[in-house]
Amino acid sequence: MKTIFLKELKLNFKNLLIWSLAVGGVGLACILLYRSMQGEIAELGDAFSDMGFFSDAFGMSTLSMATLAGYFAVEVGTVHGLGGGMFAALTAIGIISKEEERHSGEFLLSMPVSRKKVVAAKGLCVICMLAAFTLICGCLYALGFVSMGESLPGGEFMKFMCGQFLMNIEVAAVCFAISSISGKNRMGAGLGLALLFYAYDLIGRAVPDLKDYLFIGPYSYVNASEIFSGRTAFASAFIVAAAVTLCAVFFAFWYYDRRDLAS
Amino acid sequence: MMNAIEIEHLTKNYGKNRGVTDVSLKVKEGDIFGFIGPNGAGKSTTIRSMLGFLKFREGSIKLLGMDSVKDHVEIMKNVGYMPSEAWFYDAMKVSDVIKYAADVRGLDCSEEAAKICAKLKVDTGKRIRELSLGNRKKVSIVCAMQHKPKLFIFDEPTGGLDPLMQKHFFELINEYVDKGATCLLSTHVLTEVNKYCRNAAIMREGRLMMLDSPRIDDDTFLSFYEDEEV
Repeated sequence: MKTIFLKELKLNFKNLLIWSLAVGGVGLACILLYRSMQGEIAELGDAFSDMGFFSDAFGMSTLSMATLAGYFAVEVGTVHGLGGGMFAALTAIGIISKEEERHSGEFLLSMPVSRKKVVAAKGLCVICMLAAFTLICGCLYALGFVSMGESLPGGEFMKFMCGQFLMNIEVAAVCFAISSISGKNRMGAGLGLALLFYAYDLIGRAVPDLKDYLFIGPYSYVNASEIFSGRTAFASAFIVAAAVTLCAVFFAFWYYDRRDLAS
Repeated sequence: MMNAIEIEHLTKNYGKNRGVTDVSLKVKEGDIFGFIGPNGAGKSTTIRSMLGFLKFREGSIKLLGMDSVKDHVEIMKNVGYMPSEAWFYDAMKVSDVIKYAADVRGLDCSEEAAKICAKLKVDTGKRIRELSLGNRKKVSIVCAMQHKPKLFIFDEPTGGLDPLMQKHFFELINEYVDKGATCLLSTHVLTEVNKYCRNAAIMREGRLMMLDSPRIDDDTFLSFYEDEEV
């Protein structure tokens, strides 16, 4: 199992670097651009804060973009939330199914290792990739705050990054389950799913009738504006997230262990 | 002598499509067993059921005296399998793939692997994506043999190999079988059956029939295929 896990890490390492440097790099660039855009951002923030549902959706009604923390929550929060969700989906959606798509499944499963251990090794690889992604991005954002001479809002920042990590795990778990069913890499479906979750949260915050059902989506407990303005997410959101994650992972183990494998 | 392979009344269907029906087969230890039949007859389905790639509900399979479902991991420690399509991870180097196969087994097979690589002239420095089908097959042979298994299962192993490599391949099989291994060889090549196999069976339309002798002439061999078209 250790050998399979290490091989998966090695095969996915390039993707990890590209995605974490791209998402973290964009976030860092946003932070570094803050000073030069500070005047415009303050005006923009004032204008957007009065736009009703739209302001709610992007959290601009609760946070002032005139501060770096507020700007970070609105801008980088969106970039990281979307980028992280997409990376999680892409990493997990193909990690099991690629064996059949690339016809390497027979080679792997002709060795003395159970299918459960193969799934476990691949699942562990996804978790490590997401942890590394969060860590790299987090370091780049922290570097941005330090470069700007601003103190990092430690508590909120940690809460935001840990929440994003959990959200990424939830998105990845759903995609992992899909990967266990499919004999092909459903990259499009994975990306679509991440975008759907994001859009659901965005629309849910803009449409008052949907607000009561926001907790179903994985983005509900990682809204940066809420975290940085000191509001806590509903416990129901975490319960749903834990249930979805556990069910999806359990399904992946159960289904992959009993299905026929294509040659 | 113990049976290395013991299949009892195996039936496997793919939804409404036929796979294999009521297949029973015994292969004794130390045998080189020829498994022939037209495309789609069910040879690969039988082999893939034996190795746990396909899940079956009817029948039972014992390999090396162990139940193929319950003792899957233990069985695979002593099985060397070569699929008809030799695919690996494209980006990996040949040497890494061979080492990876040994590492997953928790064994150091470097000495045996080097011996087989030398015999088959495997270029271990190349990446998998740079290899032709024949060269990928050679890597597959190394992965199937380096841990000196008790049972070899080869699915159309010589396709893509040049005649000299085919000769070396069978020399290796004979060497391992002489030391007590057993070999199941699925093939379409009559000369391989005639020359190397000690027993044989044919599959047609999902059913298996034992042959009295693997020494068969061209006409008889082709009739197994022609009958399918009638």
